[in-house]
Amino acid sequence: MKKCIACGMPMEDISDFAAGDPTKDYCIHCARPDGEMQSFTEKKENLTQFIVRTQGFDENAAGKIAENMMRKLPAWEKYFD
Amino acid sequence: MADSTRQIQKANTRKKIMEAAYRVFSEQGFSVPTSVIAKEAGVAHGSIFTHFPTLNDLLICLVSEFGNNIGASMHGLAAKCDSLENLLTGHLNVLEQYEAFYTRLISETSKLPGEAKNTLAVIQSTVAFHFSSVIEREIEKGTVKNLPVHILFNTWLGLIHYYLLNREFFADSNESIIRRYKAELLSAYICLIKKEGGV
Repeated sequence: MKKCIACGMPMEDISDFAAGDPTKDYCIHCARPDGEMQSFTEKKENLTQFIVRTQGFDENAAGKIAENMMRKLPAWEKYFD
Repeated sequence: MADSTRQIQKANTRKKIMEAAYRVFSEQGFSVPTSVIAKEAGVAHGSIFTHFPTLNDLLICLVSEFGNNIGASMHGLAAKCDSLENLLTGHLNVLEQYEAFYTRLISETSKLPGEAKNTLAVIQSTVAFHFSSVIEREIEKGTVKNLPVHILFNTWLGLIHYYLLNREFFADSNESIIRRYKAELLSAYICLIKKEGGV
């Protein structure tokens, strides 16, 4: 089973893939409306806001968690060298 | 000895150390010396450091594996979940499975190395992701009160954590808190958040 290279989500169903395209390595949540993968900055901002919204954390703390999530993912490893 | 046999043995020893560490940390906490883990695993003390240069490396690895297990369980659950009640029941079932270790994680967070603390935060974010996807749907349907998602999530987690952190008041030492209070916690929480005429 493929895992999204940008957020780690398992992609089982075709609807999990960006633009419903199973050849893509990233999921629907990590795609822009045009189907391209979000940039590092966009993804970090989206994850941070998601953490603030779902867990109520302070924005700086949420940003650090977002970075830690991204650090180990293939799409973003190079940003942490 | 063939390289492949050596690799299999190495992997087996690593697995034994991880499993022993999981049991020992669950029962005795994260301050336990590595010699206790080696004894439990049935390996030489030095063998631990061949696989994990420091105790922190072992802890980080263990918490990370634990996170992967919880994440996979929650994902499988959310994918086939048709109701909030089923998702919350599933969450409690997952926690029950790892109850002793999870309780250590939330009660001794300050003893964890930074990377393991971060992993714990990532684990809760994964749970929050699945929780929010189901609860937002329920809010939209008008079955759950229109409260901020983080308040709904933190209330649920806070309720569970209160029972786990005060386990000596809620159950006998070997009894599972989650198993004993699962039905009560679930029905009380659903009752608190449901909209009159909804759920």
